[in-house]
Amino acid sequence: MGNKQTVFTHEQLEEYQDCTFFTRKEIMRLFYRYQDLAPQLVPLDYTSCPDVKVPYELIGTMPELKDNPFRQRIAQVFSEDGDGHMTLDNFLDMFSVMSEMAPRDLKAYYAFKIYDFNNDDYICMWDLEQTVTKLTRGELSAEEVSLVCEKVLDEADGDHDGRLSLEDFQNMILRAPDFLSTFHIRI
Amino acid sequence: MSAYYRNNGYEEEPDYPDYSGSRNQMQGYLKTQEYPGSLNNSAFSKTRRNPYSADSRTSPDYPRSLAEPDYPGSLSNPDYPGIRDDPYSASSRRHPGYPRTLAEPDYPGSQNNPDYPGTRSNPYAAGFRRSPDYPTSLAKPDAFWSNPYHPYSSKGPDYSESQRNPDFAGSGSSGNYVGSRTNPDYPGFLGEPDYPGAQGNAYHPGPGASSNYLGSGRNGGHAGSRIKPSIDTLGEPDYPGAENPSYAPHFLEKPDYPGAEDYQNSPNFGGEPDYPDAEDGRDYGSSKTPEMPRELLSRTSSVHHGRVSPVSLLTRQNEEYPENIEMQSIEMANPYGHSDNGYVNPAYVDESIPGPTYGNSPSGGDWFKSPQGQKLIASLIPMTSRDRIKAIRNQPRTMEEKRKLRRMVDKEKSKQSRRIFELNCCSQCLNSISLAYRRSKNILSELLSSVSLWQKTLKIIGGKFGTSVLSYFNFLRWLLKFNVISFIVTFSFVTIPQFTVGGNNTFPFTGLEFFTGADYFTDTVMYYGFYTNSTIQHRSGGTSYNMQLAYIFTVAACLIICFFSLLFSMARYFRNNFINPHIYSRGIAKLIFCWDFTITHEKAVKLKQKNLSTEIKENLSEILQENGKLTLSQHLTRLSVHLAAWVVSTGMATACCAAVYYLAENNLEFLKSQKNPGATLLLPFVVSCINLAVPRFYSMFGLVEHYEIPRQEVYVLLIRNIFLKISIIGILCYYWLNIVAPADEKCWETVIGQEIYRLLLMDFVFSLADSFLGEFLRRVIGTRFITSLGLQEFDIARNVLELIYAQTLVWIGTFFCPLLPFIQMITLFIMFYVKNISLRMNFQPPSKAWRASQMMTFFIFLLFFPSFTGVLSTMAITIWRLKPSANCGPFRGLPFFIYSIYGWIDSLSNSPSYTWVVWIYQNLIGSVHFFFILTLIVLIITYLYWQITEGRKVMIKLLHEQIINEGKDKMFLIEKLSKLQDTDKRANPSSLTPERTDVEEPGPLYGREHEAAHDLRFRRSVQEHSPKA
Repeated sequence: MGNKQTVFTHEQLEEYQDCTFFTRKEIMRLFYRYQDLAPQLVPLDYTSCPDVKVPYELIGTMPELKDNPFRQRIAQVFSEDGDGHMTLDNFLDMFSVMSEMAPRDLKAYYAFKIYDFNNDDYICMWDLEQTVTKLTRGELSAEEVSLVCEKVLDEADGDHDGRLSLEDFQNMILRAPDFLSTFHIRI
Repeated sequence: MSAYYRNNGYEEEPDYPDYSGSRNQMQGYLKTQEYPGSLNNSAFSKTRRNPYSADSRTSPDYPRSLAEPDYPGSLSNPDYPGIRDDPYSASSRRHPGYPRTLAEPDYPGSQNNPDYPGTRSNPYAAGFRRSPDYPTSLAKPDAFWSNPYHPYSSKGPDYSESQRNPDFAGSGSSGNYVGSRTNPDYPGFLGEPDYPGAQGNAYHPGPGASSNYLGSGRNGGHAGSRIKPSIDTLGEPDYPGAENPSYAPHFLEKPDYPGAEDYQNSPNFGGEPDYPDAEDGRDYGSSKTPEMPRELLSRTSSVHHGRVSPVSLLTRQNEEYPENIEMQSIEMANPYGHSDNGYVNPAYVDESIPGPTYGNSPSGGDWFKSPQGQKLIASLIPMTSRDRIKAIRNQPRTMEEKRKLRRMVDKEKSKQSRRIFELNCCSQCLNSISLAYRRSKNILSELLSSVSLWQKTLKIIGGKFGTSVLSYFNFLRWLLKFNVISFIVTFSFVTIPQFTVGGNNTFPFTGLEFFTGADYFTDTVMYYGFYTNSTIQHRSGGTSYNMQLAYIFTVAACLIICFFSLLFSMARYFRNNFINPHIYSRGIAKLIFCWDFTITHEKAVKLKQKNLSTEIKENLSEILQENGKLTLSQHLTRLSVHLAAWVVSTGMATACCAAVYYLAENNLEFLKSQKNPGATLLLPFVVSCINLAVPRFYSMFGLVEHYEIPRQEVYVLLIRNIFLKISIIGILCYYWLNIVAPADEKCWETVIGQEIYRLLLMDFVFSLADSFLGEFLRRVIGTRFITSLGLQEFDIARNVLELIYAQTLVWIGTFFCPLLPFIQMITLFIMFYVKNISLRMNFQPPSKAWRASQMMTFFIFLLFFPSFTGVLSTMAITIWRLKPSANCGPFRGLPFFIYSIYGWIDSLSNSPSYTWVVWIYQNLIGSVHFFFILTLIVLIITYLYWQITEGRKVMIKLLHEQIINEGKDKMFLIEKLSKLQDTDKRANPSSLTPERTDVEEPGPLYGREHEAAHDLRFRRSVQEHSPKA
């Protein structure tokens, strides 16, 4: 308890609880995880809301993200400026969305953002190609990749505009029951 | 009105730091008024008069000015909108073009612009502040605000009106336009410096007429500062101010005084007032005025401070702009805030409201002020705190935004509640209760989460083997929880009371009992036979405890708890995983977008990627070959293979059942003839052997049968396995209920309990052996001898079925052996670790994308349907149809188990205070009519719901078609639009400036609209789904 008091104020903790899907304990655990990433950088006292960002290079070394092919995208999506450097808020946000409790739509929204490599709010052919290469480590030939992308568009593009909008994506996610359990990072 | 507010505010609080400044300005004003005699004054007076008339004139003009793009000022117009969109410096970042545009018109336009801000445009402060172009903007609003009061008060309504129009109308734009309009004038000025005053007045008047005073007042802060320079600049035309001075001198000179006084407050200013302005520009977005370059840079800091002091409060607020926004946005409901800062706030509010309305980019920091944000906040307020938190959590926003939203809603809420329920202590009570409830719930959930077992181990398993294997362990853990609850219930209501009675055990303990479960254990709380049928009563007259009733009710409660938790978890899984089963497609898209984020192990990730690419390849080849249909003969052979496999598998299952039946039939006689207690293990051993061997044989069918869809294969395998296991259990039940029970054994319930115990234990031993020997050997063979086999994959289906089998036995056995859940608890606990170790040593991650969650649903369904319902029917037969043994157990001497209930009801009907229980029993539970009606009602409801879902299906179909149509519409419109644009471009390719504004403006606008639409879409979808949930 003593520790809690010094890191966050009561109100801060309550706010975090209300804004994320975590319990108090989990928030503290996440904070210590965050603090461990850059012990020199992150103070142990957050009562004054210090403006600290942990660079992506350190975020990317977390065992939860280290081997994830999308780690950079995840960090970019959840960081404020899209550069992957994360404040504690961003950090909590990220794991909140990736937690078990987050609803499907929230997850789908962020998954969409993660797969939208060029941030144009649509998953276009290029984004798909990026995704497929990341997923398969370049084991597919270029034709296969483009074929896959075509098939995906074929399957999921509801309004036939040649790219996936958020609705298309959500619609497709609805049909993928595993999405909820797989778009999930355990802490 | 606004003027009134201001005035009031002013008068009310003379203590304000500003006021000192303002007072100074007042004095300045006074002075200026005294000065009239000066050369300029003549002009002044005229100008002053003009202004009013000009006001009326000019106000209509403004719009026109907008329309006239020729004016250099017009250039600045585009800025405003842009700036307004992103009130903060953001604009400067996004539209670097704007600064440039300013720079181009430079001297005339740009200078004028700054002037305007100083004099007239202050009202539009908003615009200025946002617009990085107007360096002075920040400072001016302050000065402006403070100064205006005098003019207003002194000169009356004209002023207020003229100014108000721009200010309060929120027409930052009109203000700007004024600026734009006037800009042209200034150039004119430059040409004719003689008239400056006159002209300036003429134009200014609208705003400026007053502006002499006003302006001076405003200048007091900053404009004044600029004026000074302008004066200086008169000598040196290099300065941008040089032009300004032309008009400035006349009336501005006077303002200087006030200004000067202010400056005295702020020493920094005094010397070179220009710089502050310039700084402002810099601070709020790279000053685009090229005129005041270096010095500014060097002095920025000092000036900044300097400025703060004179315009103390206001400037401070400016600097704290973001926070202000929060505050004001809260007060937006009453924009002219009754707060002390009222007059300041309205300005901000005015400015801030229009800003976001244009530019409510969801990514922007202030989307709260957007209509959507407002709507959201408004919708959040009436919610209960739980729903509200849920809604806030589900917002796809950053933490900062969520936090602001939360604060805002809380504040609004507290304000409301204060207003409405100020005196209602009841509601306060409720509030505090709800708060306490929330807190305690949080604490409880924390406790529960801290109890959650094996979090870390599960994480490692998930990281290495993915979700599918993880689902097995989750299922195991779920069953463990189940058993813990059952154990707690039975132990506390049956076993503990029995302990208090006691009883002596005459059997010696040898150790073999652990396997047979007989002899020593026979006379312990383990088994039914040990329990007393008496009513436990320790002190005469104390409360009594009827063991009979306790036993039957506890077992019933256990089953009911299991029933409901099964039902609910099944429903949850169904809801999550079969939302839209009828549009299930082959789903290459799902392969791609359902990357398993739980996997964190490097090797596992690589393997998964490899598997995924092979799967994609397979999928592609399947798609490519889709057209090539199988020939008839191929069809026939495939069909016959399936048929043969089914025949073989069912034949095998029947054979196994027959074997078990035969064995069971002769088991009793066999046991009587055998003295060795180990002989009792024969039946469980055979059953376990069957359970071990046959499923493996079944899975070999997969080599012969080639199912097109791997999922199909899994389901077929599952069905065969479950058929085998359930029929074996069915045979055993038949044997117990029809052979053991009527056989007049000494205590047949205990015998059955022992049998189940042995089966369970044997099953456990076999699983252990299988894990340690079978899987280990398989690994050794796979890696050492026949390397082509490689490591095996974890067979989730088989393992889960083993769990289901064991659980079924436990449910059946709970009645005969109340501590069976405890034993199952231990075995599951051990199994978890054993399986975990074996998994890590002997297995590799599954290669196929395994629909884990769907499987989980299926498993739970299996657990419910054949397993649990089977148990229920067995229990029903036992309780209603079987005669309890005469010499042991709580029900000894009764014709049927259920008679204990009948007896209880009879005894209750004698005591008048329990007649309601009797009534309920007779009319509801014991009544056929009631169940008949209930069934009817349930059937009707089911039918209605079925119809509703049918209707929804049609609706979904229609909506889907609509989406497609709208997509087509969109494409069509976009095409048309682009065509039109092309033709437009071809038509007038030369018009430069307008084009640029055209091009630049739509950019951000489009983006914003786009983002807004995006945002809207998300929320709409959330709304769509929430009712379903």
